[in-house]
Amino acid sequence: MTGLCELSSYIGPMRLKNPVMPASGTFGYGEEYEDYVDLNRLGAVIVKTITLKPRIGSHPHRSTEVPSGLLANIGLQNVGIEGFIDEKLPYFGDIDTSLIVSIGGESIEEYVNLGKILNGHTRVDGLELNISCPNVESGGIHFGVDPEVTRNLVTCVRDITEKALIVKLTPMVTDIRIFAEICQQCGADAVSLINGLPGMAIDVKARHSKLGRNIAGGLVGPAIKPFALYLVRQVCETVDIPVFGIGGISSTEDAMEFLIAGASAVEIGTWNFINPRITMEIIDGIEAYLLENNLHNISELIGTLS
Amino acid sequence: MEYQVIENINISLNYYKLALGIPSNAKLPLPGQFYTVRCGETKDPLLRRPFSMHRLIKREEAVRLEILYRVVGKGTDWLSRCKVGEKLNAIGPLGNGFIFQKDFTNVILVARGIGIAPLYGVAEAVLMRNQGARVFILMGARTKERIFYEKECRKIGRAFFYTDDGSKGFQGNGPQLLMHLMESKKLPQRFCMYACGPSHMLRDLANISEKFDLPGQVALEEHMGCGLGACLSCACPLRASYVKRDEHWEKPSLQWSEDRRQVYSLICKDGPVYDIQEVNWNDWVV
Repeated sequence: MTGLCELSSYIGPMRLKNPVMPASGTFGYGEEYEDYVDLNRLGAVIVKTITLKPRIGSHPHRSTEVPSGLLANIGLQNVGIEGFIDEKLPYFGDIDTSLIVSIGGESIEEYVNLGKILNGHTRVDGLELNISCPNVESGGIHFGVDPEVTRNLVTCVRDITEKALIVKLTPMVTDIRIFAEICQQCGADAVSLINGLPGMAIDVKARHSKLGRNIAGGLVGPAIKPFALYLVRQVCETVDIPVFGIGGISSTEDAMEFLIAGASAVEIGTWNFINPRITMEIIDGIEAYLLENNLHNISELIGTLS
Repeated sequence: MEYQVIENINISLNYYKLALGIPSNAKLPLPGQFYTVRCGETKDPLLRRPFSMHRLIKREEAVRLEILYRVVGKGTDWLSRCKVGEKLNAIGPLGNGFIFQKDFTNVILVARGIGIAPLYGVAEAVLMRNQGARVFILMGARTKERIFYEKECRKIGRAFFYTDDGSKGFQGNGPQLLMHLMESKKLPQRFCMYACGPSHMLRDLANISEKFDLPGQVALEEHMGCGLGACLSCACPLRASYVKRDEHWEKPSLQWSEDRRQVYSLICKDGPVYDIQEVNWNDWVV
């Protein structure tokens, strides 16, 4: 079926084969899904957030299910930038689609260093700045809730990289449009939203958090979709750069909602856990929808909310 | 993958046995490996639920995979209402199974409640490898009413039972019964133990294993998001000085701290079976 409609687009210098990507943190380093997904078919691969040093991550218990959602506090466990380059990046040598690396730092300098290190690797096509992780200091939310900090960070990273620059926004602000506008002004190629919302669940028998000593975690999954869709529409009405919609997408129909609301692409998160093939099914589903509706280019669908 | 439900019966209280038909050309599980099952078609329950293989019965054209489970929440409640003939969406086998060494002729299984699920297959596998092996089963629960699978336990080896209140068998817990049996010389001097149950029980068994230099393996349980090593939910602390990595214990998911004094392992990928000495019990048991 592939090839009958034009699904591709450009995000700055980076080509997206189609508007469907896995969301950072739900797809490991890509290889975890190779038995289920043809990675070459993805719009792009977004790997989990990488920090300068390896991080062991949060203490168990790291996740718990809530109605239609998941509370997770992983604490940005990752192999660190050196480990990523040595052990994980070579895998993408044979993968024919764009690669976006999510990066997180404890200071603007760390983000800049990560960007500089990745400049030496042409296989990496884009950076997604994680300034919205609800659980940790590094890659943490405090970069994403202060407009001036966001401005400084995006400006500094833009200065040192020519790769596609995407900024992942947190919903934990009064007006997310302000942050999206700042990203646009500072030269970001796209914004992605939303990251998880902080949340809690308590075991009333034991009177302790269901996330153990982590207490709270990020709420993700279908439970957050209506809120995510609302914010994506707000941001799409405000900025001209592409917007990646994220939040509880579990089907083609969900993905279409974000595209119709104005998102240029979508990131699939939690549902990868439930159906590891979901990205493939949504790519096929979007193409089928376009054909059925006699649309030849994905751009004819994006932002068509009447 | 979709598998047909061949049987789904209540065996006692909230304990159930599910049997799925697996094509004989499919990858077959080893004792200790598990499947993740989509429990329902809605978004609540949301995540797949992990279930260890209980027994595998090979027939000519198909294989019967048995899963033993306890109804504890929305997912297992849905599962308990599945009918024969319906299809279940399951992914597996996942994780690493128990290891069997030829020279282990004396095997002791320590289970509490539903912990018997992965251990039954261990007994069968041991006896298949070595017909002269001696299998001892220590099975227990809170009270007599909560003990199930008595007949099945007796069938596969020498069974001892324990209850917290003494209403059946030994009064006490599994590790206490094990000590009692060792002290009263009812067990061979050397044995290998396989255990599954609450984490504090496993920790106490680990202490016995260390004190008497007895080898052992445990199957751990934790909330899982994906079962594929991607979501990093099911992290378990290991003892940095004792991490086993050889052809039997391949561990692709270890994550060390920067100073390499702490290490986490993903139960879905590196486990769920670990060497009993390998787990950092002090950090794992709440």
